Amino acid sequence: MTGMIGKIHDVLRPDRGPDVDRLLARIDALTRLLDAAENHLPAERLVAARTVVERAGARLARSRDHTVVALAGATGSGKSSLFNALARQELSPVGVLRPTTGVTHAGVWGPPAGAAELLDWIGVPPRHRFIAGGDEPDEALRGLVLLDLPDFDSIERTHRAEVNRLLGLVDLVVWVLDPQKYADRLVHRNYLREFGRHKDVTVIVFNQADVLGRTELSRVLDDLRHLLAGDGLADVPLLATSTLEPASVDPLRTVLERAVAGRQAALRRLAADLDVVGDDLAGLLDAAPPGTQVDSATTRRLVDALAASAGVPVVVEAVERAYRHRAALHTGWPLVRGLRRLRVDPLRRLHLSDADRPADPAASVVAATSVPAPNPAQRSAAALAVRSVADEAGAGLPGPWRDAVGSAATSRLDRLPDALDRVLATTDLGLDRPRRWWRLVQLTQSLIIAAASVGLGWLVVGYLVRVLGLPPMEYPMVGRVPLPTLLLLGGLPAGLLAALLVRPIVSVGARRARRRAEQRLRAAVADVGQEHVLAPVHEVLSHYATAWEALGQLRSGR
Amino acid sequence: MTTHGDPGADPRAPVGEGSAAPVLGEALRRLRGALATTTYPLAVPSAAEARRTTRALITQLDDYLLPRLARLDAPLLVVVGGSTGAGKSTLVNSLVRARVTVPGVLRPTTRAPVLVCHPRDLAWFRQAELLPGLTRTTRPSDDPRTLQLVSAPALTPGLAFLDAPDIDSVVDANRALSAQLLAAADLWLFVTTATRYADAVPWELLRTAQLRGTVITVVLNRVPGPAGEEIAAHLSEMLAAQDLAAAPLFVVPETEVDGQGLLPEAATTHLRAWFDRLAADPDVRAGVVRQTLDGALAALHPTVTGLAAAIDEQTDTALILTDVVEAAYRTARQTLTQGLRDGRLLRGEVLARWQEFTGSGEMLRQVQARIGRRRDRRSKAATGRPGAAGEQLQTALESQLATLLRAAAAEAAETAYAGWQREPAGAALLDPELKEPGPELSERAERLIRDWQRGVLELVAAEGGGRRRAARGAAYAVNATGLTVMVAVFASTAFIPTGLEVAAGAGTAVAGQKLLEAIFGDRAIRALAAKARDDLLARIDALFAEEADRYLARLRAVEVRVGLGTALRRAAAAVENGRRAAALTARTGLALPGADR
Repeated sequence: MTGMIGKIHDVLRPDRGPDVDRLLARIDALTRLLDAAENHLPAERLVAARTVVERAGARLARSRDHTVVALAGATGSGKSSLFNALARQELSPVGVLRPTTGVTHAGVWGPPAGAAELLDWIGVPPRHRFIAGGDEPDEALRGLVLLDLPDFDSIERTHRAEVNRLLGLVDLVVWVLDPQKYADRLVHRNYLREFGRHKDVTVIVFNQADVLGRTELSRVLDDLRHLLAGDGLADVPLLATSTLEPASVDPLRTVLERAVAGRQAALRRLAADLDVVGDDLAGLLDAAPPGTQVDSATTRRLVDALAASAGVPVVVEAVERAYRHRAALHTGWPLVRGLRRLRVDPLRRLHLSDADRPADPAASVVAATSVPAPNPAQRSAAALAVRSVADEAGAGLPGPWRDAVGSAATSRLDRLPDALDRVLATTDLGLDRPRRWWRLVQLTQSLIIAAASVGLGWLVVGYLVRVLGLPPMEYPMVGRVPLPTLLLLGGLPAGLLAALLVRPIVSVGARRARRRAEQRLRAAVADVGQEHVLAPVHEVLSHYATAWEALGQLRSGR
Repeated sequence: MTTHGDPGADPRAPVGEGSAAPVLGEALRRLRGALATTTYPLAVPSAAEARRTTRALITQLDDYLLPRLARLDAPLLVVVGGSTGAGKSTLVNSLVRARVTVPGVLRPTTRAPVLVCHPRDLAWFRQAELLPGLTRTTRPSDDPRTLQLVSAPALTPGLAFLDAPDIDSVVDANRALSAQLLAAADLWLFVTTATRYADAVPWELLRTAQLRGTVITVVLNRVPGPAGEEIAAHLSEMLAAQDLAAAPLFVVPETEVDGQGLLPEAATTHLRAWFDRLAADPDVRAGVVRQTLDGALAALHPTVTGLAAAIDEQTDTALILTDVVEAAYRTARQTLTQGLRDGRLLRGEVLARWQEFTGSGEMLRQVQARIGRRRDRRSKAATGRPGAAGEQLQTALESQLATLLRAAAAEAAETAYAGWQREPAGAALLDPELKEPGPELSERAERLIRDWQRGVLELVAAEGGGRRRAARGAAYAVNATGLTVMVAVFASTAFIPTGLEVAAGAGTAVAGQKLLEAIFGDRAIRALAAKARDDLLARIDALFAEEADRYLARLRAVEVRVGLGTALRRAAAAVENGRRAAALTARTGLALPGADR
């Protein structure tokens, strides 16, 4: 779209007025707005704006030397007579039977070449196009393309459809009213009221003025002005004409000459269209953007809920217990350590130990963990948290955008459980290797037990020696206690004591491991929340900000 | 000449054969009563139209049908209607040869209706039986709620002209009033012009009048001299295409008006002559009255049936809306029962606390081996101080259940909201706060659970007095038993562990069950748990009913009443039967004098 605008801009540059630039900037703003709003607002709310963008592009890409003027009016108001009076020749058939004109006739003043493309776009077939002016061309109206529209109030519904289509495409509309029908509901309610924003490109003609006397005419014109003011067309030109008196058509001719010479009608019309669309869209963008980020408190609540639903508390509990379990395996009293081995590692029970984790998390298919599936309450809590993110992010936005934020927040809800499970499966819980001090304690324990064993062995050897009647061994004495006895009797409680002494340290370490695992898991869960919940919400919010800012440009360029 | 308007003549002469008229009148009054009670509070697509139709029907009954049926011999009312600027007022003035209504160039000209009749008929129209809603005046007025009465001696007695406002100008009141007047016409003099005759708006009215059986006469006014024949031929064709070939067509040429604002006498001669003949022949006049009346009565049945259908749509829509809300909260209840039934609620927090409460996870898995240590725990519980573990279990139960309740209620509210929004009638009743669950739902949910827990404890205490378990129950504190029962509510799938549960890791919960059974006795726990669950579900039902009522109250507030449709249908059928019995048009086919243009 932007490319097309650029192209049009290049085409127009030679004769650009200040208006063209501004108009193009506004069309560009509208395009940006539509792009931003596209997936978030109901399509039917944007149809009108889209049509305007398309029409504006199409119209600006075509001849700006021509001004397309439509004569619109009820059946019998004398549109065709007026058309012929302006062309000074019989181009459009005039009749007494109603409705007369069923097709649109076009009169072109000046060379028809440039107008052909325009008329193709408007949809007037070549057989209904005429060169106006005939032998003595009317130079002042050169560039005028005058359309004689069908009526819009007869029983022929097709006429009305044709009029409605064409009224959207022309640059300037001349409404032809007459003494009988000037107060008809249809023309005022369905048509003139709709053109309230197009004052610059609207002209009202009171035709068949000749059937009224002079004083009657001025009273009727006053009445009509009053009605027009009610339609929001208070100061549009109102001209009384009569095709029976050719001179009375001259003011209308002058208006048209000026419009043709100014070449501004097309731009004004498009500008008015943009005004209308801008006002329509304003209702959908009536609040300043609340920022593009969700606030941190909401984010924290989301992470809490997601973590609970993923089973993070269960896992960190397991991490703490696994730490104790593994520390005990290393630092426990070697004599009872074997019993410990019979127990299952808490992390392994959840299929979360190192052996279960693939070497390269990204490359492999991650096996599902055995962390218990979230129960209904946890699932509900996660859904509630997501919903509250949507509520808080969408607060203050206009209704449709609030809905868009809501559906964006929940758009990836069904993929959330799997993503959270992957987090558990792939996050490094920090229990990969045994701690170094465990090994130190283990070594110490081994030394103590070795010492005790040596003492025991020594004593056994001494006992055997005595049993076999050999000369008794001399034990080295430590104080008054033989060394082997000291080794045995000191080593056993020493090991037990050492195991007891490291317990508080293991506790501290277990808690620290738990904290670290919790931090890592929460960070990973936060990433998942970011990707699955916050990112779509942020996208909507930033689109809203874009659309809001574009609307400002669209409406400021008047 | 005739007996119209003569107080001496029998004014309540029976209609048709026999005494069908009072029956028909009674049926009409019943129908009016039934119509007056109808309401269309729900914004279904048909409602606006139905409301308008109902109003129009009541007006027509009051304005025309009831008074006309009561006095079939009253003067013939010709309503002159048509587009703005068609020259209706000028035509009326010219027909009665007096300036009785004010024509003008400003559109719309006539805003208040003017009725012109012979002085002898004035009394009847002044009685205000016909068009009772319009105040009679003798002076010109701009108030559309008045009816100016003018007597014109030049008019043939038995005939009255009503100059109605236009049907298509910007003044909306005019359109409504002229529709009301046309519905009260014995004969519609439709005035159009050479530029107007193909307008869409009047043709729609003509079609309506034709369907209603109103006698129509067409005047093509303001015809420019030479083209008259051609235009008249075209208009006749169009009339014939609309099945209106029988309507006489008069052409009035565009001429200068005289000083009084009347058309030259020559221009309206045929029309005047035609009306004179109509007025002079009582049979033809009565025929016109009867045909229009019969047509209007005949049109009642399909119209009222249509209204009855609109009423049915109201009741149907109300049912649909109720269903939507009830389904949403039924689903919420199912979510909860499901959560309670399959024991999954036990898996996380509650399970952990339960394990803490009964000992440790390992202990529970190896319950037989460690029964001794558990006994210590039990004796601690038996001292009446449930301890931290018990309290934690209670809190865990409470928060899990509360979250589940809140989420289910939020989802139900959202579903109900979306469901109502899909229906235009529902969308009209909605207001944004309904999208959220009711105020303070969390507090109410928590209170509900605390009440239930208290109830369970009371239940356990009350049951403590009975049977074999009593001896054993005495050994345990009520608190501990109560907690156990609560857990049982969540854990039991009729105490049978399903393969799924075991596979999903809920085996511990089932093991817990077995333990409980071992301690307390299978039947006692089962009975207590069943009672506790029923109690919980009843409380949840009450909460959800309260929530659903936020929607249903709005529906009740608009009062969609049942049975009105049937009443309408019955009343319409009675009118139709009465009309057939009265045989208004059976005597003679209507032979209007031909239009000779």
